Amino acid sequence: MGYHSGMKDASDLNSKPDLGGVFGFWVLRLWLAVRAVVTGIEKYSGSRSSSEAVTIDGAPNTYGLTASQSDKVYGLEHYHGVPETLAQRFADEPLIPGAMLSLFDKVLGPALIVLGLMLLVGLATRISLLGMGLVYVALTVGLILLKQDAGVAWLGVHVGLVALALNYVPHNRLAILKKW
Amino acid sequence: MNLAPPAADNTPRSSASELTRRSFLRSGSAAGAGLVLGAPAVLSAAAQAAPSDEIRVGFIGCGKQQEVLFNAMKNIPGIHYAAVCDIMKDRVGAAFGRIRAAFGNSPRRYFDVEDMLAKEKDLDAVFVATPDFWHAPHTVMALESGLHVYCEKMMSNTIEGARSMVKAAETSGKVCQIGHQRRSNPRYVYTLDQLINGNQVCGHITSINGQWNRGVKSSQDIKVKASTLPDLAVMNSYGFKDAHQFLNWRWYRDLSGGPISDLGAHQIDIFNWFLGTAPTSVMASGDKNHFKNREHFDNVMCVFEYDTPAGGARAFYQVLTTTSAGGGYYEAFMGTEGTVQISERDAYTNIYRESDAPSWDPLVQRGFLKRGSAPAPAAAEGNVIAAYASAAPEAYELPGALSKPPHQPHIENFFQAVRGQATLNCDARHAFESEAPIYWVNPAAEAGQTLQLSEEHLSV
Repeated sequence: MGYHSGMKDASDLNSKPDLGGVFGFWVLRLWLAVRAVVTGIEKYSGSRSSSEAVTIDGAPNTYGLTASQSDKVYGLEHYHGVPETLAQRFADEPLIPGAMLSLFDKVLGPALIVLGLMLLVGLATRISLLGMGLVYVALTVGLILLKQDAGVAWLGVHVGLVALALNYVPHNRLAILKKW
Repeated sequence: MNLAPPAADNTPRSSASELTRRSFLRSGSAAGAGLVLGAPAVLSAAAQAAPSDEIRVGFIGCGKQQEVLFNAMKNIPGIHYAAVCDIMKDRVGAAFGRIRAAFGNSPRRYFDVEDMLAKEKDLDAVFVATPDFWHAPHTVMALESGLHVYCEKMMSNTIEGARSMVKAAETSGKVCQIGHQRRSNPRYVYTLDQLINGNQVCGHITSINGQWNRGVKSSQDIKVKASTLPDLAVMNSYGFKDAHQFLNWRWYRDLSGGPISDLGAHQIDIFNWFLGTAPTSVMASGDKNHFKNREHFDNVMCVFEYDTPAGGARAFYQVLTTTSAGGGYYEAFMGTEGTVQISERDAYTNIYRESDAPSWDPLVQRGFLKRGSAPAPAAAEGNVIAAYASAAPEAYELPGALSKPPHQPHIENFFQAVRGQATLNCDARHAFESEAPIYWVNPAAEAGQTLQLSEEHLSV
């Protein structure tokens, strides 16, 4: 049964699950959830470098020359909502108030994680999808101002997938709270 | 703020008698405590039973360079960040925020240098990161107030300003470090000590080639939201005729030495430091090739001639603000047996052995050098043109890297000197001796003549 056999009403869908639609929504829900959660977690990533003095002529050198190794680590202290390279450019944009940028920087990572987890477990799926879509729209505004057309198109794909998922919601199964 | 734009002799508008009085009062109180005149203020703080031996620091100028310095020093223990000062409210707020975020304390905020120096009686040292034409007035003012000073390079936009800093430093007896941070970089110190002097990997250095190539995109005017700028009257009182001058002072002749000073100063300093002598002449060429409306040349090329104990040498230096290609920024010391091309960036650092020079295998085995990761290009057989080329040199690398921000070792050296535990790696006099030839590059380019550099050009 095709998804757009839209003549079928909700009672038909509830009484007779469309496996294709159900699996399609699961895959889409999972992709959007993983995309958001992992992106949010990455905002807490940083690097920790260790270094030791290089040996010259049989002894550790006294100049301070080191051989370094850098490891990726996660932690609250590494949090960066808006990438540093973009933050300054956003700050220079007259249409982006400084307070708004600061707020967005603080909430972006947690918002992605929370919305992603909500979508993953099926908690208020419509609301979580709407929230996720709005986050991507907000990101799009910034990239439009910076004339990052490739990024705008990239986010447009995300928004399209969110919209598609909202259309698939009638096929939602395995959800904690279906009401919203 | 009651400071006027600097006069030709870099005397600030503030009353000299007032500064002298403050200096006198501070010196007098120190003498009363049984301390000799000129003893580091940190010692006087200790004598007054301060809770710790923390060095209390203030920042004069809170723009981008202050951020660079702060990020390089925030991991150095034993510093208390007591005060920040700038005429731009947003910058003061940003510096305040950086300190508060890193250490939890709230430095006092000032929009007036003299106000800060008058009220911050417990300061030990200040970092001067203002536009070049304010370096001399601010440094002299702080030294005369009994503070140790770390001042960004270029010392001043005029050689007279730089001279005044040397005199003030030596008169005050305070520590005055100039921000030629490569002088404390382990990679540079090691290269000079062990490779060039110790193992003489270059052989006889006959040529030096240095450059800083920066593209048009990185050379654009700085812009900020108009609402964040100081009032025009405030900018005027500080010598900026408008917001463009305030933000882009590096392009104005009365405010800066231009690219040869902004970028070239770091690298020409290395020429003079590594050769251990000053050049005997300079010829130069420059023009406004792309940025037609700027006062300074956007591209400058120059040649310095040196008399070294090993014989004559020439150093070519170019600073481009219109092209980034060509290897970035480095200083290459080219000799009969090898070339050391060093840069603050590992990526631009390369060491080459001439094909007919003695083997460097023993140096590699002992850890003085590493073999380069890129293989030497193969000789082209049967190519008539290539037959005239020398055999490709072998590539090597430094054995290690610097695992700190590039400015950190220089700032550490400054604080050690303040504590009396080290001598400065680039005090005002040594910085002046190295910077003096740079002041003559633009005049040589404008005159289209080779300038013979004499004591008059190069001495304090």
